[in-house]
Amino acid sequence: MRCLRRLLLVSLGVTAWALHESDVGVVDWNTKLIGVPLHGSPHTAPVFHGDYILTATGNNVLAALNATDGSIVWRSIYDAEDPIMAFSHHDNSVSSLSGPGGSTFRTYDLETGHLMLEKQLHSPLDGRLHEPQNLGISLLRSADSSLNSTSFFTLTNGDSVTHLDHETGETKWTWNSPDQGSLVMYSHVIAHPSTVYVVGFAKSFASYTLHVTTLSATTGEVIASVNIPANIKDGLSEFLAFSSSPGPTTTACIAWLEDGALKAALLTPDLKGKVLGLPGVKYDRIRDFGLSTNGQFLAITTGGAAHVMHLDPQTSSLRPIWEFGDVAPSKSRSDSHFVGSLSRNGEPRVARVYWSNVHSKAVHETLAIQLSEGKGSVSGFAFPFQTLDHGVVRHVAFDGASTGETHENSRVLLTTTTGSIQLWQHDKMQWVREEALASIQVAEFVELPEKKIVTSHTAVDEEGYFERLQRQLSDAKNLPKYLANFARRFATGSYATVSASAASSSAEDTLTRDAFGFRQIIVAATSHGKLFGIDSSNGQVLWSRVLGLGWAAKVGGTIIPVKMFVTRTVSDAEGPQIVLVTQRRADNTLIDTVLFHVNALTGEDVREEDLSTSRHALEGFDAVQGPLIDVYMLPSENRTIVMLDEYLQVRLYPETASSLAEFESFAPSIHLALRAGAPGLRQILGHQVGLNHELSQFYVAYPTWTMSLPQHEEIHAIVPNTRGPIASIGNVIGNRATLYKYLNPHLTIVLTSSPPSRTCGIYVLDVVKGSVIYHVSVPAAGGVCDVQATLTENWLVYQYFDDELPGVGQSKGYRVVSVEFYEGNGPDDKTKSSELSSYSNKTLQVTAYEQAFIMPHGITAMSPTSTKFGISTKDIIVANRKNSIQSIPRRLLNPRRPKQKPTSEEQEEMLVQYDAVLPDDARLVLSHNYEVANVRRIVTSPSLLESTSLVFVYGLDLFFTRIAPSGTFDVLSENFNKVQLVLTVAGLGIAIMVTKPMVRRKMLRERWYQ
Amino acid sequence: MKMMHTLSLLSLLLSWSSIVFALELNGYVQWNKLCPNYEALGSSRVLLDAGKMSGRVTRNGNFSIPDVPPGTYILSVLSHDHLFDHVRIDISSEPLPDVRSYVFGTPLLTPSSVSLPYPVVLIPRHQNKYFSPRESFNLLAMFQSPMMMIMVLTGGMMLAMPYIMKNLDPQTLEGLKGPQAKAANIQELMQSGDPRGRLSALLAAGEETKSSTPVIKSSAGPSTLQQRKGGKGNKRR
Repeated sequence: MRCLRRLLLVSLGVTAWALHESDVGVVDWNTKLIGVPLHGSPHTAPVFHGDYILTATGNNVLAALNATDGSIVWRSIYDAEDPIMAFSHHDNSVSSLSGPGGSTFRTYDLETGHLMLEKQLHSPLDGRLHEPQNLGISLLRSADSSLNSTSFFTLTNGDSVTHLDHETGETKWTWNSPDQGSLVMYSHVIAHPSTVYVVGFAKSFASYTLHVTTLSATTGEVIASVNIPANIKDGLSEFLAFSSSPGPTTTACIAWLEDGALKAALLTPDLKGKVLGLPGVKYDRIRDFGLSTNGQFLAITTGGAAHVMHLDPQTSSLRPIWEFGDVAPSKSRSDSHFVGSLSRNGEPRVARVYWSNVHSKAVHETLAIQLSEGKGSVSGFAFPFQTLDHGVVRHVAFDGASTGETHENSRVLLTTTTGSIQLWQHDKMQWVREEALASIQVAEFVELPEKKIVTSHTAVDEEGYFERLQRQLSDAKNLPKYLANFARRFATGSYATVSASAASSSAEDTLTRDAFGFRQIIVAATSHGKLFGIDSSNGQVLWSRVLGLGWAAKVGGTIIPVKMFVTRTVSDAEGPQIVLVTQRRADNTLIDTVLFHVNALTGEDVREEDLSTSRHALEGFDAVQGPLIDVYMLPSENRTIVMLDEYLQVRLYPETASSLAEFESFAPSIHLALRAGAPGLRQILGHQVGLNHELSQFYVAYPTWTMSLPQHEEIHAIVPNTRGPIASIGNVIGNRATLYKYLNPHLTIVLTSSPPSRTCGIYVLDVVKGSVIYHVSVPAAGGVCDVQATLTENWLVYQYFDDELPGVGQSKGYRVVSVEFYEGNGPDDKTKSSELSSYSNKTLQVTAYEQAFIMPHGITAMSPTSTKFGISTKDIIVANRKNSIQSIPRRLLNPRRPKQKPTSEEQEEMLVQYDAVLPDDARLVLSHNYEVANVRRIVTSPSLLESTSLVFVYGLDLFFTRIAPSGTFDVLSENFNKVQLVLTVAGLGIAIMVTKPMVRRKMLRERWYQ
Repeated sequence: MKMMHTLSLLSLLLSWSSIVFALELNGYVQWNKLCPNYEALGSSRVLLDAGKMSGRVTRNGNFSIPDVPPGTYILSVLSHDHLFDHVRIDISSEPLPDVRSYVFGTPLLTPSSVSLPYPVVLIPRHQNKYFSPRESFNLLAMFQSPMMMIMVLTGGMMLAMPYIMKNLDPQTLEGLKGPQAKAANIQELMQSGDPRGRLSALLAAGEETKSSTPVIKSSAGPSTLQQRKGGKGNKRR
C-alpha cells in the first residue's frame, strides 16, 4: 500500500516534466574535469606513463589522461578528509597513499581505473601533520625477480614502514620507529632486494642531521641504525636520497649540502661507509628531477649554473656529467624547469624549459646523455607558448620515451599558473585542458542580445534608379534560400522547440540569443586568476581573460573572486557588462579589493578607453586598499556597486556624482547584518549607514542592533534571501480563505554551530531590527555542521543529518525540512508584510508551517528554480552525494501536506498525503547518466519562457540543463502531434475531393428525375 | 624486570582491548543481472550513517570499513546508477556485528527480526532508469485508437453504401427504402423552404413512426412522396 502511494506520488511529481533520452546532450551538457595538478611535490605532480598521463590534482582527484587527445581515461575522486599524498605508477597499476599521514593505500588498474585494493595503514586520527603535507610519506614498489613477486613498501607518518603484498594487500610486516617520530622524521625509503633503507632527518640544534635505518626486506627487522653528522638548514632543498640500479643490484646513496658543499654517502646494509665530499664547487640547492631511481639528480650552483649529477655504481663515484649555464632568472629569460625521464632504450634524457623574453617564446632544450660513453648533447627549439592566455609555466612533465634523433615527436606537458594543462609535441600544441574551471568561485548568467536584422539602407534618398535596382537585387539574393527554408519549415514542422538545442546552427557564430532565451553566457571567475565566458548552449569557452595582478605582479600574489554583478544587461545601450569584485592577496601579505569591469560578450575591459593596444592581461581597478567586509549592488537604474571596507566605510563603484546621489537616496533604507565579537562570544551586528563629515568623507556604517549568540556558538554563514519576482502574495486554500505569504524583504539566514552542545543553529533574521523570525537547533552529526539552507520568498528549506538516537523518532538519516511563513495567525489574516514598515510590531506576527522529510542521501548544494515572472512553481534542485543533480518537486515539499487522506478541500488545493520519505526516483534526476561530482553551487536563471528555468551547476564538474517545474505550459506540448493533425486534415480534404463529384452527380440526377 | 613484564603485558592487554572495541566491517556486493560486474556498478562507496566512516567497493565487489566503534549504524551505498537496500548494523562487544534488514525511514527503536548474514551481502535491487519514453507518432497506434476507428468506419460506410445498396436484392431494398426516402424528402423540403410542405412531411413522418410499420405502400403520404417513389421505380424497371 505504502509502495503504491509512493508510486502515485512520484507519478504526480513527474507528470509535469520528464526527461527523454533524445534530450541528452541537446538540452544539457556536462564537462568532466579533474582539477589543476598538484605540481608542488614530485609525489603528486603529473607524469607520463606510456600513452597515459597520471596526476593528482588540487580538487583531490587521481586521474589518468590520454596523452594523445587529452581525454580523461579514468578518475578517482577522494574525500576532502582524505587528501592524496603520493601516488606511484607501475606496469599496469597505479597506487596512492592518502589521508592524514598517508593512512589509506589504494591500487587501481591503469587502463580502466578499477579499484583493486583498498587498505587502511593507520587510523586517520593518528595521522600527523607535517609541512609540507606529504613530507614523510613515500610509496615504493619493488619487484623481486628471484621470488617472482611484487610488493610495496610504504612510509607513512614519517615513522613507520609497511611491507604490503601487491595482490592481496596483506601486510607482511610493519616497522615503527622506536621514538614515534619525535626525534627522527623519515622522509625517504629505498628498497634493495634484501634491504630496505629508510632515511630521514634528526632534529639537532638549529639544523638537522641525517639518520639512516636499514631493515631486512623479508622480516622487517632492524639491521642497523646510524646517525650521520650533517648540518642541514633546509631539509627540502638541501637533502635527497637516490639510488641507481643498472643491473640486479641497487646502489643507494644520500646526498646533502653542508655549507654549500655537496656531500654524499653510499649506503650498505650494515651502514659502514664513509662520507664523500665533492670539493671545489659551491651549491645552492639540490633537487630530484625525476631520475632519482636512475642515479641522477640536479644540483644548482651558487653561480647560477645547473649540474646534472650522476652516481656511477661501478666506481662508486658521484660527479657532474653536464652543466647548464645561466639558469638563474634574468631579464632575458625566466627561471628554468628541469625534468628528467628515461628514453625508450633506458638512457636518461633531461628537458629544460624556460621563457625567453628575447624571442617572446618558450624554449625547450633536451639533453641526451650516453652514460656508457660519458657524453651528452644538447639540442633545442622554441615553441609559441601563449603567455597572455595561460600565464606562466609552473610545471613541466617530459616524456623521455618520445625523444628520438629529432625533436619531431618529443612531448612535454605544461601546467600553467592559470590552471591549464597543455601537451606540446615539438612546437605544436596538441591539446589544452582548462582545469581552472574545476575551481570556479563565482558565476553568473548573462543574457545575449537579439539577432539584429542588418539593413543596407544607407543612403536611400540619394540613390538613382540603377543603384536602387542593384540594391534590391542584392537584397533579393537571399530570397530563394528564404523560400526554401519556409517551405521546409512548413512541411517538416521544424520550428524552434523547447527540446531543441539552443546552440546557433549557422556557420558565422554570432552571439545572439535563440527564440526562447536558452542561450546565454555564463561568466565564471576561477581561483586561478582567469575569467571565462561559457556558451550555455554547449559549454564551450567563448572567451577567457587572465586577471592581472596590478602592482602585485612584482611580488606575486593571487586573486580571489568574491562576487560578480551584472551591471548592464542587453536592454541597456552599452550591452551586457559585469563587474567582478575580487580580493588580491599579494605575497607580501597586503590585501586589496580589486574590481574588473568586463564586457560579458567579448571579455573586453570596459574601463579601457584605448582598444587599439595589443592584447594583454585584464587590469583591474584598485577600489579599496584593504580587505572587503561586504559588497552588494543597489537595485536601481545605475546599478551602483556598494563596498564596505574594513573601517566600515562605504565605497562606491563607479564613483560618480550620479551614483553618489543614488546612494544618498537609498542610504536610509540600507540595513546590513555583519558578524562581530570575539571567538566564543560571537555577535551579529545590524548596521545602517550615515554621513558625518567630521569623521570621514565617506558614509560609515554604524551599529543599530546587536544579537548575541550563546557562548561558543560560531557563525558559519550569513545567507541572504534569494530575491526574484513574486507573482502572488498569497495562497488560496480549499475553503476559499487566503494564506498571505510573509514577504519581508529583509530576511536573512544565519547558520551557526555550537560545538559544546553538538548542535547547529539556523536563524531567520529581520536585518532591520535584528528580530528572530525563526530559529531551530538541529543535531550536529559527528560534531560537524553540514547544514544546507535556502530561503526564497517565504519558503525556507534546509537539510541536516539527524543522528540523535535517543530522540523521538529514534532513527538516523538525512532530514529535509520545509518551512513556510505566512502573515498573522492564520488564513485571511493580512498584515501586508511586503510593504510594512520594518519598525512595525506587526512584522513579528508570523505563522510558520513546517514539515520534515527523510532523504536517502546527503546534499552538497541546493537552490530553488527561478523563472521570469515567478508564476511557475518553484522546485528545489539539489546536488546529492551520489554525484547526481536531482529536482524535488514543490508539491512533495509542501509543508501543508495533510497527515490523513486529503479531504475534498485539500484535494482542490492539490495537496497530497504526507509521507515522511521523499522518493528517490530516478526520473527526478536531471543529470541522468552524467556524473557531476563535488558540487559547490547551483545557479539558476530565468529564460524568456516563463515555464523554463536554466540550471548551471559547478564544483569539480560543470553541468547545465533546463527545467520546467510546472511543465512547458507556454509552448506547444511536446506530445503535440503535427503529423496526426496534418494527416487528419489531409484525409478530410481527400474525402471531400472523393465525395464532391459523387454528390454533384446525385444532385444532378435528382434534378432530372424530380 | 618483572615490573617491565607486567607493563608490557598491560600494554598488550590495552592494545587488545582497543582492537575489540573497534571492528573492521566487511562485506561484498553480490553481482546479479541488474549489476553483473564492477564495470556496471562504477565507483561506489559504502557509508555508515553520514559517511564519516566509509569504504570503497573494489573490483571483486568486496568492501571493508575499518575501525568501527560500537554503536548502531545505518549502512547505505552511494552508487550512481544502482539502488541498494539500507542495512542496520549493531556493533557491540561481541566479535561479530549484528546485521539486520532495515526499512528506510522507520524508527530504530525495535530492530527488525530479519537477521542477515555477516559479512554483509549487498544486492543491487534496482537500476536507475532516468528517461521516460517519448510519445512518438505511430501510424498503427493512431489507427488503433477508438476515435480513429469510428471515423474510419463511418467514412468507409459512406463510400461503400451505394454499392451495397446496388447489390442488395430488391425486396430488402424496398423494405429499407421507406424511412430513407422519407428522410431524404424532409431534407429536400427543408432546402426548398416550403413551410407547409415541410410541416406536412414532418407530420407524415410522425405518423409513420407512430404506426411503427415500415410498409410504405399502406401509408397515405403526401403527393410529393408518391411521385418521387414512382420516379425511382421507373428507373429500376
